[in-house]
Amino acid sequence: MTEENIINVEQVDAGYGAFPILENVSFTVQRSEVFAILGGSGCGKSTLLKHMIGLNPPLGGQILIMGDRIFGGTAEERERAMRHFGVTYQSGALFGSMTLLENVCLPLEVFTDLPRDARLLVASMKLDLVGLKNFASYFPADISGGMKKRAAIARALALDPKILFLDEPSAGLDPITAAELDRLILRLRDTQGITFVVVTHELASLFAIADRCIMLDKPTRGILVEGRPADLRDHPPCAAVRAFFNRELPHE
Amino acid sequence: MTLHLPEVCSSESVTLLWRDVLPDVARLGAGDTLVLDANGVKTCDGVGEALIVEIFRRSAQQGFAISRQDENRIIAETLALFDIASFAEDPASTNPKRNTHTNEQMGEAAVRIYDDLCEQMSFLGEVACFAFSLLIRPGRLRLRDTMLHFERAGIDALPITLLIGFLMGLILAFLSAASLKQFGVEVYVADLIAIGLFRELGPLITAIILAGRTGSAFAAELGTMKVNEEIDALTTFDLPPVFFLALPRIIASTLVMPLLSIFAVIAGLLGGLVVLSGMDIPAVTYWQHVIQSSTLNNILLGLIKSLIFGLLVGLVGCSHGLQTARTADGVGRAATAAVVGSLILITIFDGIFAVLFYLLGI
Repeated sequence: MTEENIINVEQVDAGYGAFPILENVSFTVQRSEVFAILGGSGCGKSTLLKHMIGLNPPLGGQILIMGDRIFGGTAEERERAMRHFGVTYQSGALFGSMTLLENVCLPLEVFTDLPRDARLLVASMKLDLVGLKNFASYFPADISGGMKKRAAIARALALDPKILFLDEPSAGLDPITAAELDRLILRLRDTQGITFVVVTHELASLFAIADRCIMLDKPTRGILVEGRPADLRDHPPCAAVRAFFNRELPHE
Repeated sequence: MTLHLPEVCSSESVTLLWRDVLPDVARLGAGDTLVLDANGVKTCDGVGEALIVEIFRRSAQQGFAISRQDENRIIAETLALFDIASFAEDPASTNPKRNTHTNEQMGEAAVRIYDDLCEQMSFLGEVACFAFSLLIRPGRLRLRDTMLHFERAGIDALPITLLIGFLMGLILAFLSAASLKQFGVEVYVADLIAIGLFRELGPLITAIILAGRTGSAFAAELGTMKVNEEIDALTTFDLPPVFFLALPRIIASTLVMPLLSIFAVIAGLLGGLVVLSGMDIPAVTYWQHVIQSSTLNNILLGLIKSLIFGLLVGLVGCSHGLQTARTADGVGRAATAAVVGSLILITIFDGIFAVLFYLLGI
């Protein structure tokens, strides 16, 4: 794994309106690593993710995706930054009126001039990558939750992004399906060289896939700790980290 | 034949190759050899991989040989990642064919209409049962919910009802005045407006507003609750959704309709007054004619119609809301169906009333 920074989050104040949920947050994500953002409910994980994927501007600071500013730069710079990544949402967010193949084809139709047979082949290959090639003609309503998440990953991969943002990928999945999804993430990282940024609080998935993580903290409105998940679990630097990784209740 | 893959196999470069070179590849057959040169390739994304897969797929189908030049192992890695044999079938064939057979479509539509009718009748029966139980024990009515829906369907709809009612009176006055002026009896425009608004246009316009505004809102609210499994939660608590959610809405829409209708009529009469004042007819004369024409019969017939229309809007809106499909477009379809269904029923019942009143001579 090279040590090249692919995402730079620099002194970002995250939040909505006038009140930041997180202040002065800085970290980097390196190429071809699985990077996890952790924290308890309401600590600002999803808010930070929304800033990183360009949905909401941060209250301060800047976010660089492969050197391009997602906010605060030119429209061309933002467009370039947006083309570097794909996103999958908690529910999969597939379009219910389209088959899986049509769902994956959609970004290719909009952003490329490929002929129809080429688009269909590319989409079919993306579905093959996530193990859903034989379900290409199914509608999202006809497949399970785990399959929906895999199909959403296939759709996010359609334009060959360098980075994939995953919001709670294992949430609501049984342990076997979650493990399959973890394996898929690692396989895509190894075969396609994709960088993953995963927002999660599923500890089993975290230890299985994440190379590095940051843990956000609600009381201090910042990053409590940064490092390898196993190291943080085995040598927690503070009580809050130990409590999180060992699922301990706070002392009365 | 030699095919040189570009240095950067991206969607732009591969699109050109796909369009210009693949037709030539299609002419190759058994005994031919295609030299696939990937030595110059530095980066290859998914589209480039698709081109490689497509060439190998065609080789398997057409029988031509492929000679690889693959210093950077681009082709080898692609073949390791994708099983060419599994792509033998055309991906387009996996896309389901939408049913375009007219007979089948008509049959499906007939079954759907029949199922819809059965569900509506079952819903109507359920509402009737709960309404009867309310008559016995009125205290069971969720008064706070009913008042909330009354406010949303009634008070919140007042501005648009007044505006449309006023404009309707204005338009009616202009249209009828133009004809009656030829005979010098434009003063009778007041009678026409009063009878027209009380008996027909007041209830009808208000019902259309209620269907578009409140009926669709009922369907969307209940549909969203169904998608969010809130309806399931009520059922498992043994709280019948029809009683708990639909009945307060239906009662509110039924009771609010006559009131809105009265406001629409008053606004319409004021609209007529504005037009006739411009034609030098004194306001006193106008009001005298309006009062003469506003018989108890006309007012009561309008109010009865309003009650029935309000009931129809509430019933159709709630029924479609509770039958919403749990899909992304389910709520939208329910709201649309609620409005369309309400409008059709309102028109049908209006026709029935017209025939009935004519036969009864009222």
